[in-house]
Amino acid sequence: MWPAPDMPFFWIAFWCYLGGTVAASIYAGLRNAVVRRAAYVLTLAGLAGNTVALVVRSAASGHPPVTDLFEYLTFFAWAIVVGFVVLWRRKGFELLTVFAAPIALAVLVVASLFPAEIERQLIPALQSYWLWVHVTLAVFGEAAFAVAFAASVLYLVGLRRGRPAADLDVLDAVTYRAIGVGFPLFTMGALFAGAVWAQRAWGSPWSWDPKETSSLIVWLVYAIYLHARLVRGWKGGGPAALSIAGFAVTFFTILGSKILGGLHSYG
Amino acid sequence: MTLFLLGAAGALAVLVVALERVRTWLASMRTAVGLLVALAVLASLGVLIGQELPPETYVERYGHALGTFVVRTGLSSIFHSWYFLLLVWAIALSILLCSFGRMLRLARGGRRGLRTLGSLLAHLSIAVIFAGGLVTAVGGFRRPAARFLGAGDTIEVPEGGFSLRVEEARTEFNEEGALSDYVSIVTLLEDGREIGRRRIEVNRPLVYHGVGVYQYEMLPAADSILEAHLGVLVPPDDGERMVEVVAPFREVVDVPGTELSLKALEFYADFTYDIEQRTAELASVWHRNPAVLVQVLESGRTVGEVWAFPGSRGHEGGRDLPCRVFLFDYVPDYDRGLTRFEFTRQPGTPLIYAGFLSLSIGLCLTFWTRRS
Repeated sequence: MWPAPDMPFFWIAFWCYLGGTVAASIYAGLRNAVVRRAAYVLTLAGLAGNTVALVVRSAASGHPPVTDLFEYLTFFAWAIVVGFVVLWRRKGFELLTVFAAPIALAVLVVASLFPAEIERQLIPALQSYWLWVHVTLAVFGEAAFAVAFAASVLYLVGLRRGRPAADLDVLDAVTYRAIGVGFPLFTMGALFAGAVWAQRAWGSPWSWDPKETSSLIVWLVYAIYLHARLVRGWKGGGPAALSIAGFAVTFFTILGSKILGGLHSYG
Repeated sequence: MTLFLLGAAGALAVLVVALERVRTWLASMRTAVGLLVALAVLASLGVLIGQELPPETYVERYGHALGTFVVRTGLSSIFHSWYFLLLVWAIALSILLCSFGRMLRLARGGRRGLRTLGSLLAHLSIAVIFAGGLVTAVGGFRRPAARFLGAGDTIEVPEGGFSLRVEEARTEFNEEGALSDYVSIVTLLEDGREIGRRRIEVNRPLVYHGVGVYQYEMLPAADSILEAHLGVLVPPDDGERMVEVVAPFREVVDVPGTELSLKALEFYADFTYDIEQRTAELASVWHRNPAVLVQVLESGRTVGEVWAFPGSRGHEGGRDLPCRVFLFDYVPDYDRGLTRFEFTRQPGTPLIYAGFLSLSIGLCLTFWTRRS
């Protein structure tokens, strides 16, 4: 184990996301453009710190930052903010995009609970390029689910407060689009690349390991959402609640190996 | 006869109507979503309950009534239970029926485009993945070897028609001392002939005649070490004069400030003693109860031998010796290790890969292309 040189940048990202969260909370109440801009700037500063932290860590460890829960969650926070940044230029998403910082902050809070020391030598099971493919695609898929989660939360809040149908339709569309982006990525990364690697490492593409099964549940929840939304034209609070449930299962899947053990309990 | 024929025709008609109803039910979207929900619920139960544990674990964990219920209803092995498999096949059938319905609609001039094609491809892919799973379930196996093997040991590969002779089994470390790999060097033998040498590592299995040989477990040697770190009490009852000696395996080392020298003669990773035979034995290859047989010499002459154990446990056999010997620690012999393989045949894997590949393409077409 080696000390982590990325920690100063991690904490810069942490404090900037915290500032962004405070600004986002004020904006949610006041709807002031200056506060919104402050939230954006702080979130972007956090993203910069987060990016440098990941680069420094990769350089110090000699491998992509996806080998333990600290690295995974730091990378996940980064991917979530990138997902929201994609939406920033789009008109009508102002309220949604200020929620990047709170979600990224929550993820970094959980990350900070895990050991941050660097392990330069990967354990034999992780010495495969499939690690990179499997985890990276899964993280981007999950980040898209996080965007859908934020849109769904805002949808339900808006529904409760009687927001105009047009606003709610935008949030419903964002949820669907984000899941439409995340679902193929998650399928390719978590399931397909995971199956190929599992075959090489453990001798079978599927073992009903707790993390594998949890990933399947995530996939099923979003498959149910898409079927209901696509084919039956289901709209309203139901799909939003399902999207929120999907992200809850996603987060459980990320942390699940710590709780349930199994083949995926590396770090 | 006529009555019989009429009866048979009637029964057939009832059967056809019933099958048509089942087909309609399975092909409906409401049923498909319901089946997916049921699969998600059962999978969640499987994750939360914990799978394939000994029955008594469930009783300990959930109490007698609930634990027994979990075991009797197959919830402890849910992914192999008849109702789970029935559900999986109902989903596969539902997907196939849905897909055929769509293909028929397409053939009759329904809306076409990349998204429709992608959706159809994605649905059929899932049936292909299930088919791969079925092929493996019928014609495949996954079996860890029954025993650990050291250099020179040979093992018959089940259903492979070949054997492996272990030449080397070692754990590798980098310059900083961190574990870097488990490596088994084997000679592949077929019909008594040597086919060649192969290297088996984690993530790099040996695949021959469709059977995969995987690096499953690795242990350091059970009967040798690199060096023993011994504590020597001289004279035996004087606690103030504990001397620490590093004794390379089977080499004589002097105990500083005395006429004594020691030699670590034997090592047993899991020491046990046969009282009837009055012999020390190796109980298992696991390092559960390590012990080193130490020869004690005084002015170059052997005065006795004693088994040294970790901690302060002494051994009565050494009470007449001019010192007491303790095993503080030892450096395991990772170069002469013991390897254990897992053998697998997964004939459905190519189908599963093909299914996942077309599923990925289908989903990208469905969600990442513009509506035509």
